[in-house]
Amino acid sequence: MQAQLLWRTLPSLVLGLLFLSMPAMGSCSDKYPELLGQLQKQADFMQHTNTLLDLYIRSQGLDKNGLKEHCRERPGAFPSKDALQRLSRRVFLRTLDTTLGQVLLRLAALEQDIPKAQDLEMLSGVKLNIRGFKNNIHCMAQLLPGSSETTEPTPTSPGASPSPTPTLDTFQRRLEGCRFLHGYHRFMRSVGQVFREWGKSLSRSRRHSPHQGLLKGARRMQLSGRNKRLMPRVQLAPGSHRGAPGG
Amino acid sequence: MAVFSVFQTTFFLALLSLRTLQSEVLSEPLPWAPESLKVSINSTHQCLHLQWSVHNLAYHQELKMVFQIEISRIKTSNVIWVENYSTTVKGNQLLHWSWESQLPLECAKHFIRMRSAVDDATTPEQRFWSNWSSWEEVDVQNSLGHEPLFVFPKDKLVEEGSNVTICYVSRSQQNNISCYLEGVRMQGQQLDPNVSMFNLHNVAFIRETGTNIYCKVDRGDDIKGIVLFVSKILEEPKDFSCETRDFQTLSCTWDPGRDTGLLKQLPQSYTLFESFSGKKTLCKHKGWCNWQVAPESQEMYNFTLTAENYLRKRSVHILFNLTHRVHPMAPFNVLFKDVSVTNATMTWKVHSTGNYYTLLCQVELYGEGKVIQKHNVSVKVNGELVLSGLEPDTEYSAQVRCANANHFWKWSEWTRQNFTTVEAAPSEAPDVWRNVKSVQGYCVVTLFWKPLSRLQANGEILFYNIVVEDLDRPSGLQLLSVPAPANRTELTLDQRAYQIHVTANNSVGTSPASVLVVSGDPGDEEVEEERVKGTEDGFSLSWKPQPGNITGYIVEWCDRPRDPLCDLQWKHLGPNTTSTVISSDAFRPGVRYNFRIYGISTEMVPYLLEKKTGYSQELAPSDNPRVVMSNLTSHSFTLSWKDYSTESQPSFIRGYHVYLKSKAGQCHPGSEKAVLSDDSVCCKYKIDDPKQKMFVVGNLQPESFYEFLVTPYSAVGEGPHGAFTKVTTPDEYSPMLIRIILPMIFCILLIMILCYLKSQWMKEKCYPDIPDPYKSSVLSLIKSKENPRLTIMNIKDCVPDTIEVVNKHEGTGKSPTEPEAAKPTYLYLLPAEESYSGPGPCICFENFTYNQAASDSASCGHVPVPTKAPSQLGLLTSSENLLTALEKNCMNSLEEIPAGESSLNYVSQVASPVSGDKSSLPTNPPQPELCSEYKMQMAIPLGLAAPSSSGSSSLSSITLLDEGEHYH
Repeated sequence: MQAQLLWRTLPSLVLGLLFLSMPAMGSCSDKYPELLGQLQKQADFMQHTNTLLDLYIRSQGLDKNGLKEHCRERPGAFPSKDALQRLSRRVFLRTLDTTLGQVLLRLAALEQDIPKAQDLEMLSGVKLNIRGFKNNIHCMAQLLPGSSETTEPTPTSPGASPSPTPTLDTFQRRLEGCRFLHGYHRFMRSVGQVFREWGKSLSRSRRHSPHQGLLKGARRMQLSGRNKRLMPRVQLAPGSHRGAPGG
Repeated sequence: MAVFSVFQTTFFLALLSLRTLQSEVLSEPLPWAPESLKVSINSTHQCLHLQWSVHNLAYHQELKMVFQIEISRIKTSNVIWVENYSTTVKGNQLLHWSWESQLPLECAKHFIRMRSAVDDATTPEQRFWSNWSSWEEVDVQNSLGHEPLFVFPKDKLVEEGSNVTICYVSRSQQNNISCYLEGVRMQGQQLDPNVSMFNLHNVAFIRETGTNIYCKVDRGDDIKGIVLFVSKILEEPKDFSCETRDFQTLSCTWDPGRDTGLLKQLPQSYTLFESFSGKKTLCKHKGWCNWQVAPESQEMYNFTLTAENYLRKRSVHILFNLTHRVHPMAPFNVLFKDVSVTNATMTWKVHSTGNYYTLLCQVELYGEGKVIQKHNVSVKVNGELVLSGLEPDTEYSAQVRCANANHFWKWSEWTRQNFTTVEAAPSEAPDVWRNVKSVQGYCVVTLFWKPLSRLQANGEILFYNIVVEDLDRPSGLQLLSVPAPANRTELTLDQRAYQIHVTANNSVGTSPASVLVVSGDPGDEEVEEERVKGTEDGFSLSWKPQPGNITGYIVEWCDRPRDPLCDLQWKHLGPNTTSTVISSDAFRPGVRYNFRIYGISTEMVPYLLEKKTGYSQELAPSDNPRVVMSNLTSHSFTLSWKDYSTESQPSFIRGYHVYLKSKAGQCHPGSEKAVLSDDSVCCKYKIDDPKQKMFVVGNLQPESFYEFLVTPYSAVGEGPHGAFTKVTTPDEYSPMLIRIILPMIFCILLIMILCYLKSQWMKEKCYPDIPDPYKSSVLSLIKSKENPRLTIMNIKDCVPDTIEVVNKHEGTGKSPTEPEAAKPTYLYLLPAEESYSGPGPCICFENFTYNQAASDSASCGHVPVPTKAPSQLGLLTSSENLLTALEKNCMNSLEEIPAGESSLNYVSQVASPVSGDKSSLPTNPPQPELCSEYKMQMAIPLGLAAPSSSGSSSLSSITLLDEGEHYH
């Protein structure tokens, strides 16, 4: 049991330290592909239910037939994958940042229902990961073109409110928490897929023309976004300092 | 006053009876009837709260009344609860009463009504009840909302083992609803078409986050449930006790027992209450609490410890005298003074516990990790104890603890301190032994001694003094100092007797001396060695008691006999001892150990008594001897293994087995058949004497293949059956042939060598290039025996007239029988005046020796002698044969010549113009005149120089030569 806990906790701590390394250094990486790769890997890691949901289900006794089937994400709680893919990169990052902020608040509420110290320790590791991920989102936003422009409106996630209605009884709160965490993992999986698409467009652009490709990729993504707002044509060579990736 | 009270009550009862009667008649409410009844609910606690007042009760009035409350469920006629609630009612007072429902209030309508009566304890059966109030209906379902399903009670807290009732409320009667407890379906009881209840008996604790109970519509996605928080029962604190260490603070401790499992939902608290002082404190910790001792001298304390949570309260009590609960603090400042060789004074201090208390202190003295002394000392403030019976130069550890001497409660913690006694001179003489060797007329004495034990050394041994005293010259003393930790030294002494004194010295003094006498003659060789059998426990040795004055015995052996240093060991035994067991951890199986038993005379002279040898455990021989085979004949061979040492074997060698494998497979007498581990059969010869290291294997067949193996055997087995050595016997005649052929070859070689070395001599003797008539032994032989008139012609006497030159064509391939083969050319030489000294016989000859063709045809054995048969030619191929033939021809030629016709004959060398190919020889022997290469040379008188009729056919020539000159 302890070994299993260690197996679960160790990667979280490592990733957490990885996430926190950049803010600890006080600066963001200006290497777009490297940062994108990190975000993708982090999202892939956070999508696994064994990092959070499985722990919650087990601690709350929801791992029973007839009960665990109701631990499904409520529609609208988190942005769908399609909705995320339609967003421009900037809006996507902002949405991601906002959603994860709400997830952090919700996790703080769920913490009250977790009595065991070792489960709490694991939950703390998850929160650390999310904070690090948010920091990387911030760094990525710095690399996007027009980072100094005014921010676009962020689509809200109605279901990702900090906590459900306080009048809910413990059982309903428990189910809602489970559904929320289920949605969280699904959301992170979608986020990982979006980042993967970013990476594909980056490699495509490198094959054709390192500069033009990035720009085209960026334009395509921006045009496909909801706001259809044209981004300034700033070419970015991978690894350049604080430039826009154009992707 | 009491009379007044009784009167008043009687009055009121009478009045009440009157009013009752009146109200029955007039239908009016009686005074003091309950009114304004209000019912509220607490869903969390499933409680109904009733609130009412008493009608017409004056403000200042106070009346003891009883209220009868009826509770019905679902319908008014279904009364489930009746309770009389007695209380004292004051005027205008609002009365309250609560009732906890087993069934969640949301699951069914409840109806409540009540009535009142004046509480007369003396005659309860004669109460006059007021009218029932109207039914108050409690229906929570109306306020639940419009959701299709509800489950109650929400988040209920119960102890394990409790009975709980669960219910659900469905909005639709069409729904088929199932309810589960942790995934297990529950069987319920239907209260009405929309409501069912489930009774859970003896609920168990499942997890800290509670038990999930939920209901689902079978054909829907709706699920509703509750969490039932089941707590473990709060246990009573155990081992509750209080004590003080400083008379200022009481430290109370207890064992809280197991957790309830619901620390978040059901926190528990511990409260300490002291009844004499009336003080109370809420403990911050779960298992202990501090209590400040009152400054005033309160000796008795009565504590109540209460553990409490929402569901249960547990209390324990203790009553004690403070002075009986003193747990002293550990002593401090432990010191040792006046530490001598065997004594030390230990002092320590204790923390003050008041002037009226005496402490009992316990001192333990440790030596080598074990308690060797225990002492009890009564102490007020300072403790002191003299520790005696100590060993010199020994580290000790002493520890002390204290307790209240008058009322023992607890010992304090130990306080430990180490000290070391001072050194003393070594108390025992070192145990000394010697090894004596005689080297080049000197005694090389190696002295060994064992280090003194710690108790004997009384300090660190710095060096050993060795005094060598010449017993023949008492004044001759020699002192040798060997620094520790050496345990041996070597002395070279002459062949006189010496007394050796060995002492050990430390910084304080010298030990008694160990005395040993070394005489010039070790005298060890005259004692025979006996064998002993060892066991795992060692060697049991015994010896004959020695007559005379014996101061003791010494048994000597080597722990590692195979090592050059051998690690000499010895054991001293008393004079009355004649047996001992020698054991050592160094003894190993398969190693031979030699023991020597010495007797020590009163003059301290050791002399060897007995020798023993043995193994702690014998092992089978591990090596076979290296066997050398010799004297191989057709019927036998000899095996020897003289370099095989039986001493270094892992057991006593008792003999040898000689295994012989042969194809015949028959064993001769003296051997027996044996089957080896590889199932091969061979003959086994047994040699019972381990000293016999040679064996003759006989009765063998000539030209036969044999394999043999020699392996030793002992009491525990024989050596390994390794590789056999292969041998093949020779045939019977080979040795004889070798005896003949070898000398022959030797002789031939000798002759050849002699011939080679004396070739010049032989040549000159037998076949000189230019025959020297003076040296011809033949001539001398003939001359001496047959014709004494024969003489040697002098060349100076020969006047040359012609020289015949013979032209010979080489390689013509013509047969030498052809007449044209050789046409000699004759040169006729005229004598020169200078060289010609006078008339004399002229010799004309031709020398074919220098004819090239002839010289190359040495193999030609063709002897052109008509009298000889051709069959002889084949044998004349070597030079010797040739010589023989020549000699023979020479003799024959001489025989053919009449003695009167010729005075001197020369025999020419063979010079055949034909090759050595015998096949090319003609079948018919050639005519002598045609064999032109072979000429008979002879000296003839001048008158005979002209070719004769016979000489024409022989191509002979006569040539005049100066003596010693050759002409070609």
